[in-house]
Amino acid sequence: MAFRGKAPRFWLGRLVRNVLAWVAIAFALFPALFVLGTSFDPVQNLRTARIIPAQPTFANYLHIFRERQEINFPRWLLNTVYVAGTTAVVSVFLCALGAYAFSRFRFRGRRAGLLTILLVQMFPQTVGMVAIYLILQALGKQIPWLGLNTHPGLILVYLGGAIGFNTWFMKGYFDTIPRSLEESALVDGATPFQAFWRIILPVARPILAVVFVIQFISVYSEYLLASLILKGMDKYTLAVGLQLFIGEAYNRRWGSFAAAAVIGAALILLIFYALQSQIISGLTGGAVKE
Amino acid sequence: MAGFRGLGLLSTTALKVVVLSLFDAVALYFVVLLAWEKSWLLVGVIFAGLLGLNILAFSRRLYPFRYLAPGLLFMVLMVVIPLVYTVYISFTNYATGNILTKDQVVQLLTSRQFLPPNSPSFTFRAFGEGQNLYGLYLWGPAGEYVILTPGQLSPASAHALKDVDGDGIPDFLDGKAALALPELTRFLSTLQNLNIPFGDGWLRLSTLTTFRVYSPQYRYDPEADVLVDLRTGKEYRAQAGNFVAADGEKLDPGWISGVGLANYIRFLRDPLYHRAFVRVFTWTVIWSVLTVTLSFALGLGLAILLNDRQLRFRKLYRSLLIVPYAIPAFISILIWRGFFNVEVGLFNQFLSQYLGVRVPWLTDPFWARFACILTNVWLTYPYMMLVSLGALQSIPEEMYEAAKVDGASGWQRFSRITFPLLLVSVAPLLIGSFAFTFNNFTLIWLLTRGEPVVEIGSRAGATDILLSYAYKLSFQGGRGAEYNMTAALAVIIFVIVALISGISFTRTKALEEVSRGL
Repeated sequence: MAFRGKAPRFWLGRLVRNVLAWVAIAFALFPALFVLGTSFDPVQNLRTARIIPAQPTFANYLHIFRERQEINFPRWLLNTVYVAGTTAVVSVFLCALGAYAFSRFRFRGRRAGLLTILLVQMFPQTVGMVAIYLILQALGKQIPWLGLNTHPGLILVYLGGAIGFNTWFMKGYFDTIPRSLEESALVDGATPFQAFWRIILPVARPILAVVFVIQFISVYSEYLLASLILKGMDKYTLAVGLQLFIGEAYNRRWGSFAAAAVIGAALILLIFYALQSQIISGLTGGAVKE
Repeated sequence: MAGFRGLGLLSTTALKVVVLSLFDAVALYFVVLLAWEKSWLLVGVIFAGLLGLNILAFSRRLYPFRYLAPGLLFMVLMVVIPLVYTVYISFTNYATGNILTKDQVVQLLTSRQFLPPNSPSFTFRAFGEGQNLYGLYLWGPAGEYVILTPGQLSPASAHALKDVDGDGIPDFLDGKAALALPELTRFLSTLQNLNIPFGDGWLRLSTLTTFRVYSPQYRYDPEADVLVDLRTGKEYRAQAGNFVAADGEKLDPGWISGVGLANYIRFLRDPLYHRAFVRVFTWTVIWSVLTVTLSFALGLGLAILLNDRQLRFRKLYRSLLIVPYAIPAFISILIWRGFFNVEVGLFNQFLSQYLGVRVPWLTDPFWARFACILTNVWLTYPYMMLVSLGALQSIPEEMYEAAKVDGASGWQRFSRITFPLLLVSVAPLLIGSFAFTFNNFTLIWLLTRGEPVVEIGSRAGATDILLSYAYKLSFQGGRGAEYNMTAALAVIIFVIVALISGISFTRTKALEEVSRGL
């Protein structure tokens, strides 16, 4: 008898919870679903585009891969993958090297070095934009391929910003790898570098993957520095170029924009959901997004 | 690690010496090239780098730095140096009109020319073959000369001149025939570019048939650091980045020079900058506080919802709720910008259809700010939800049991146990999120560009945050670059960020964790 009064309330509570969850999910998903739906609507006008198109086609997708004048989506996508991929690979390697030294060697300046990196990392790189711009300008006068409006120049800037956080992050992981793993190799006459290369790196593969992916995603989405440094439209990354798809032409180019947005987001969504738990622990643990 | 010390070699010594000396040779070659061009700064940097590399390669004691140096190099080059350089620029007048060095300015001004009324004049005739202009013969009261293109001057007597028709004007120069006036027009740009040192001044084309001697407009006196206008005799003294006359007349361009705290003082005293700064700063704080609290409230609410073990599909719900986090921000911001479009956007379509109103999203200051916050809450709440979920799961179950036994209500359990405990672990992340939002340029720029305009003549719009205002000061086309003002604003942001981090560090356990990591 005691449960008779409680059962309907319990049932109601559950219903409310599920309804709330679905309202929140609708809020979370509707921009993405709207863009996905309208990307199949050949109508280019945002006003008349429908989330469930009357006659769905792939016209918008074909269009953005065919249109290669000023707005050159395939090129921008390649540029983005090139810049993000290179930055991620090189920074993983550099940070692993640094993290290994901080984790395994005891030397003068170690503590100071770790603290300095932490301190420097607090200042967002983007705030130094004028200095970065002027440095690249000066660099470009001596070394043209490393100056403004070049991909290597942009990669150089990103590498600088990527070192601090990732080195700390990896060092934390390396500290958890038992030293006994390398010690036997060292006794057998391996150099520390061989121990690092043959033993630590393979063991640390999960963290290397996470750092790679987080770095890739953050460069993929970076806007300020890319738009500052890349001036030629053929050099643009997607973050800089995508806005040009619409500009203010929501009534003429919405479909193309939607298709480009879907492709641009799909790649990152795939990576994100494939490695969901690792990425989330990496991002929320370090309290860093972007 | 005793075992490591004796093995401090990446490869055999011999190979290392060979590779390193080859590298040094190439690098030194570049150093010499750069020294030739007088790029002393770069010479210094490269030389120091080279020295460091060589020391690293052979010093046992610095062995760990072989691992650290590559990463640190990038960090120093693109984070530390920009930081220091920004501070430096903030104390200078580095802006459009003052972007050269003093030497360059002196060189530029002293090469300016003017035509004195009594300057010697020369008539000329041009000679050439086919498509080529060979040279010019000039004659006048001041003598006879020959100019060979591209520009050597010599006395006429050094050349073979032949007068065939006997009119006193040569018809052949070194065997090349004279060109008629119509043919000459083809070489007009070549002639106009001739600028041949002659006495104190330069010999230049003045009209289609004459050359005249132009005089330098200014003479620089390095001892007195004074520039004299030779036409008027007026003196311009070097002063804070420009040559300035006694009556206050300033010569353009100026050079980069230190100005002390002047840029910071402008944010306090110059009305245009002061009003913009106050407006932007206020909005930046409001925007960060509202974004963080609202998205944290929403995220925490959803986390509590999802933390209920009896809720079915919670894994699915969680995956769907973090979609805004997984889509690159620059894409979703542009989608939202489309929704907010006044004419064709989704929101106004809906509102005008059902309520008969159109909201001036993005064109009215209030609604533009509203749009920024709404969009950013959408972008940020999944992060808040994830960190809250993590924190909730770390609160021990026994505490709730004990509270239940003591007869605490659901709300009491939340406000007395869950929330305080949660806040302890989430606070540093909230502060981090605050700092991130404070400088979230991407959202503001892609959604509103800092607009709408609220004050004519000011670069700062209604939704500009400090960072986007700083960006506009230097990189907004058509208005000139105020690098100095951007840098001063950047230093102010640095200070704010440092304060925020400082609070986060001292108020939380982050410091302890860090020192444990050391």
